[in-house]
Amino acid sequence: MADEVRTAQPKEFYRKYLEQGVRPDNRELGEFRPTVLDIGSKNGSCISTAEGSALIRLGNTIVICGIKGELAEPKTETPTEGYLVPNVELSAVCSPQFRPGPPSEQAQVLSQFVANVLKNSQCVELEDLCIAPGKMVWVLYADLICLDYDGNVADACVLALTAALSNTSLPVVRVDEETGKTETDFKEEKKIQLTCTPISATSAIFEDNVLLVDPTRQEEELSTGLVTVVTDGKNICSLEKPGGSPLKDQQMRLCIERAFQRHTEACNLITQSQGSTLSTLTSPLVDR
Amino acid sequence: MEVMETSTNSPCLAALTCVLGDLSQADGSASFTHGNTSVLAATYGPCEVRMSKEILDQATVEVVCKPRVGLPNCADKYRERHIRDLFQATILVNLHPRSSVMIVLQERQDDGGLLATSINAACLALLDAGVSMKFLVAAVTALIDKDGNINLVPEEKPSDVEASASLTIVFNEKDLQVMGVTSSGKFSQEQYDRSVSLCRKATEHVFKFYRESMERKLSKSV
Amino acid sequence: MPDTRRITGPEETQSPFAFCPQFLAQSAEAFSDGKRRDGRKAEADHRPVFLKAGLISQAKGSAFAELDKTKVVCAVYGPHEVARREDFSMQGQISCEVKFAPFSCRVRRQHVQDGREKDLSTQLLEALEPAVRLDSFPKSQVDVFVTVLENDGSALSAAITCASLALADAGIEMYDLVVACTARIHGTSILVDPSFSEENLKTVSGEKPGGQVTLGFMPSLRQVSALCYHGDTDLDVLSQATQRCQDTCHKLYQVVQDTLVKSVEQRMNNS
Repeated sequence: MADEVRTAQPKEFYRKYLEQGVRPDNRELGEFRPTVLDIGSKNGSCISTAEGSALIRLGNTIVICGIKGELAEPKTETPTEGYLVPNVELSAVCSPQFRPGPPSEQAQVLSQFVANVLKNSQCVELEDLCIAPGKMVWVLYADLICLDYDGNVADACVLALTAALSNTSLPVVRVDEETGKTETDFKEEKKIQLTCTPISATSAIFEDNVLLVDPTRQEEELSTGLVTVVTDGKNICSLEKPGGSPLKDQQMRLCIERAFQRHTEACNLITQSQGSTLSTLTSPLVDR
Repeated sequence: MEVMETSTNSPCLAALTCVLGDLSQADGSASFTHGNTSVLAATYGPCEVRMSKEILDQATVEVVCKPRVGLPNCADKYRERHIRDLFQATILVNLHPRSSVMIVLQERQDDGGLLATSINAACLALLDAGVSMKFLVAAVTALIDKDGNINLVPEEKPSDVEASASLTIVFNEKDLQVMGVTSSGKFSQEQYDRSVSLCRKATEHVFKFYRESMERKLSKSV
Repeated sequence: MPDTRRITGPEETQSPFAFCPQFLAQSAEAFSDGKRRDGRKAEADHRPVFLKAGLISQAKGSAFAELDKTKVVCAVYGPHEVARREDFSMQGQISCEVKFAPFSCRVRRQHVQDGREKDLSTQLLEALEPAVRLDSFPKSQVDVFVTVLENDGSALSAAITCASLALADAGIEMYDLVVACTARIHGTSILVDPSFSEENLKTVSGEKPGGQVTLGFMPSLRQVSALCYHGDTDLDVLSQATQRCQDTCHKLYQVVQDTLVKSVEQRMNNS
């Protein structure tokens, strides 16, 4: 019976639960779904062909991030800065609403969001990626692939990216100044140092007055607005509220508080996960 | 349609200028300039919508942001999404089910605060077209510099201190609540609260400017 | 023409592997100390296989296959209406798409599907079509999407096995499961389930270049649904390799069946 009401009158279904202060999947309004993170073992990443990788499972949403390093000439106006290029792919695998082909608008917006988070938080010093000023720098391509789209892909992407960057090691590349010859030494490694860990927390606004943290796909569809707050533990790196219903000042304050709480949780998760194996994809599903 | 121009000077905001009804083919248009940032907005609708984008009980708001040079890229799509979600909540969409309201924004000049200028231009264009809205919306950009001082942008006299963060906040006229926010750079919660109160005061001037522009337009066209 | 729909980096980039002489020098030796390069003892040893069905909540059917380091994910959607009315037919249709993730290989791949991926998609379709009861969903289409997360050799056979497991998980009626296996012919040795470095072995001077054969096999019906081969070998070596693949497929079949049973049990426990 509950399933029929859920399909025919989803808003009514949610209203009945929210009156009691709880959500259909037994979560409180400010609770995140169980998060499982896999960063890979010490001698490699969970994807051994990538320089850094992480897989995250936020409830049913699965996002995998792979970091690849390539070499290029730096821009003339910034000869000592490398590049950091993120891209989010919402492929046809993750949901029936995405068709194969060029990135959909949603994927483009998410890519821009992740690029903004990296730029605002300055978690990777671009000067660290320099090999020979003016001649050769590292380009870090961060490719995020969503494998299962069940809402809140933005938070999953930011967490996967931060986790992957925290475990990225590049081979050492040397440029001989006299001959101009480049040589890669795979035996030596250089680990990427993060200056801070940006973590995001998204809340959906339901019926103009209820805030649901970490919305599922159905909650996102029913919501009248979304708020995403990205913090690095001390400051706010990004505050995004793309339109939607108006928010009172104390509601915004609540979102910001939740983001700081999430930051502490997520950082603990990252430190614990460094060293597990790729069992994340195969652990039992939540509410299939 | 006759061309109307109004300008206003407020203590903290740079000069606001607008020309309404410049484009003859569009249902509504506004060329809005704030300091040195200028955006031309045109709206079409409510009119027929593509089957794939149809919503059964509401109008679909479509936004296209065109940069000054080159093809639209991810940053333009990001701006489009902000503006679209904002106006989907502002326009009385339930009055026009299964139709579309299209807003096209052409960037003419960008000297800071492009998103805010685009939102204000779009609101004026919708007013010019006579599309029913729940309330008016206005956006202001605040720059937070390294010392923690907050200035509104575009400014009359640009300061020499480098900005460490910027916030674009959109308010509605009904109860001056926050409709939309976007940020860049790092800032603290206290800086955010101060920016909100400063921007809130500034938007009152923008709303007054909207009213004056519409009064001028309607008083002349008989 | 820059891709305006993605965040782009600099126009020209090079992989760090291009500057490493050891990487560029491919080895011609398949065996060292009597073992294969990744530690396996016999030529006919298959790497440990891990399979799981039903992991993508949004898909009708899905599966994950891991052949030691090679990792493949498959999602199945459908049956739904055909995209174009002209393709209306009393037989159902399957459309396959294979995509390598940009970070799946040593050298980064592009986001756009290249020629190799399109080839693999066609080969996957050829392998799956004979096994599916197409007349059980007339005028409809089933979409199979495969993403290779990490490629350490035998990607096509992993994709075929994963895709047929996903189709079964989706409840699409099939005559039998398709299990696939790859064999690399190098000189006189036939290496079953080659890793990436084995797939790229240099030719031993004086001997034939060798080749690679992938066999898609339906074990219960004892029928071959796909045979993909490229290279230059003697016919009897090739038929030996095909026989080895067949034997391996019989062994893999049990694993695939067990996985399917486990996923059905789990689904029944959850509902």
